[in-house]
Amino acid sequence: MTVEEIFAALEEMFGAKREMQDKWGVTAIVPATYLHNAVQYLKEQSGTKFEMLVDIAGIDYLTYPNHEGPRFAVAYAFKSMSTPGSRIRLKVLVSEESLKVPTISDLYANANWYEREVFDQFGVIFEGHPDLRRLLNHVEFVGHPLRKDYPAQKRQWLSTNDYLLPELEKRLEELGYKVVQRSKEVETNDNEFLEGSIKE
Amino acid sequence: MIVLDPNGEKLNLMPLNVGPSHPATHGCLRFMAAMDGETIVASVEEIGYLHRGFEKMVERGTWQQVVPYTDRLNYCSAIMNNIAFCRAVENMFQVEIPERCKVLRVIVNELSRINDHFVCVAAAFQDLGGTTPFMYAFNPREEIMCIWEKLTGARLTNSFARIGGLSRDSYAGFEQDVLEALNSTEKALKDLHACLDRNRIFLDRTVGIGKISAEKAISYGWTGPCLRASGVAADLRKDEPYYDYETYDWEVVVGTQGDCNDRLQVRLAEIEESVKIVRQALKRLAPGPVDIVDPRIRVPAHKLAYQDMEGLIGRFKSVYEGVRVPEGEYYSGSECANGELGFTIVSDGSGHPYRIKVRPPCLTQFAAFHELVEGGLLADSMAVLSGLNIIAGELDR
Repeated sequence: MTVEEIFAALEEMFGAKREMQDKWGVTAIVPATYLHNAVQYLKEQSGTKFEMLVDIAGIDYLTYPNHEGPRFAVAYAFKSMSTPGSRIRLKVLVSEESLKVPTISDLYANANWYEREVFDQFGVIFEGHPDLRRLLNHVEFVGHPLRKDYPAQKRQWLSTNDYLLPELEKRLEELGYKVVQRSKEVETNDNEFLEGSIKE
Repeated sequence: MIVLDPNGEKLNLMPLNVGPSHPATHGCLRFMAAMDGETIVASVEEIGYLHRGFEKMVERGTWQQVVPYTDRLNYCSAIMNNIAFCRAVENMFQVEIPERCKVLRVIVNELSRINDHFVCVAAAFQDLGGTTPFMYAFNPREEIMCIWEKLTGARLTNSFARIGGLSRDSYAGFEQDVLEALNSTEKALKDLHACLDRNRIFLDRTVGIGKISAEKAISYGWTGPCLRASGVAADLRKDEPYYDYETYDWEVVVGTQGDCNDRLQVRLAEIEESVKIVRQALKRLAPGPVDIVDPRIRVPAHKLAYQDMEGLIGRFKSVYEGVRVPEGEYYSGSECANGELGFTIVSDGSGHPYRIKVRPPCLTQFAAFHELVEGGLLADSMAVLSGLNIIAGELDR
């Protein structure tokens, strides 16, 4: 199955539109509601299976000349392992008001960190993500630095280190352990380090 | 912390913090492990200690000014990152670079790969307590570094590639230097294999440690030598060939077990393949231009700027306004030492990049780190870490 045929299938099933900006490959714009289904189709059902999620990139179109439509976009790049050389990209447009995209972290293991990065840099919220925290920036960081209206020169005062004990407990529970007595250090004042993170 | 394990047995676990600045982490990485004695029961990682805001910085300069920034991604093979970026932009222009440029790029690409793999294997051995192989590997690396010095003027962060060509042609005696470096590379490989292959201590520390299956590695988006160690013969140089890689005579190296030992052995075998490619490329290296002659893509040479009005204008516009990359959105991936280095580029047709997203190969590999170390010993986690070759520069950008 060629990429063009897969695009035609996506168009028929999920109402995908061709992204004309991508003149070098195939990018399909998919409505956010169908994203999960479309990705599942690419991974499991389509003639050429796209087993690898290569990248998730956030884009902010705030200062893009003559741009119409929602402010943000999240672009997914997939690659086929069974048919080497086949690639396809999906794109979801995200408006500033909703900022919500369904997660695909249940389909691809690396989507977990990629989505955390997009949340961190752009503030896009991935619904259903198991652990949506900042990835590259500091826990106390306020704002989303790759948005076009974030000033590059801005400095912030960051005081404390990232606190991994709650994550460790979460991971233990994922593995089937049950925490009976928490570490003493876990009981700190939450307010002092969680400003700017999604946990509120 | 006190926990009940899946069988209902009571355990007293100790949370242990490793990093962010630990001698064996090669950069700033941090992970926290729940320890049951010497065994890691669960682990979580944190990255971002070297986050410089690469993607924000490059939006403020011109397209050419991105090139030196890419050096700082994987600083063990800096030129490779330049080439990957320049290739992405050249693809957007849909231009072909001259033949000599292609061959030179292949040579420096493969020399960088040799360099990178040597650092990885040497550091892995060093972490396990062996200093001799470190010296074996760093001798040929030093020779390659001397070539970089003569070629670019810098040893570590050397930006050599330019959009539409190279910063300069090779120097007189370049071929001879490369051949000598290849000879000592082969000698070092022999020495390393003598140290590694039947070394009981080394095998005990690496065989069966940090195993990952091919399915899981693909799901985590692994690429490069780490994925190939799990038995998947995926290499962009063969799958989506560029720079005529398909016409050289070389093999994709594949492991079988997907453990720490395989990841290091695959790297050593890849050095051998790279040596083969460079030897063939040296034979193809014919005199000719290295730059595209188009002032809209490649800055006209200094000589032209002094003698020719058009050249002067071209140079002025190119430096002040930057090249104008066609408007659009593009993803390009290149096979770098650690795996697929990808650039998602959004251009609005101006002289400045609108958005460049880097896909670092390390990120996906480090994301799976907890799966590799859980159930193993704490000391083994260091062997796993150095086998993955995590470069904090590209991990955190």
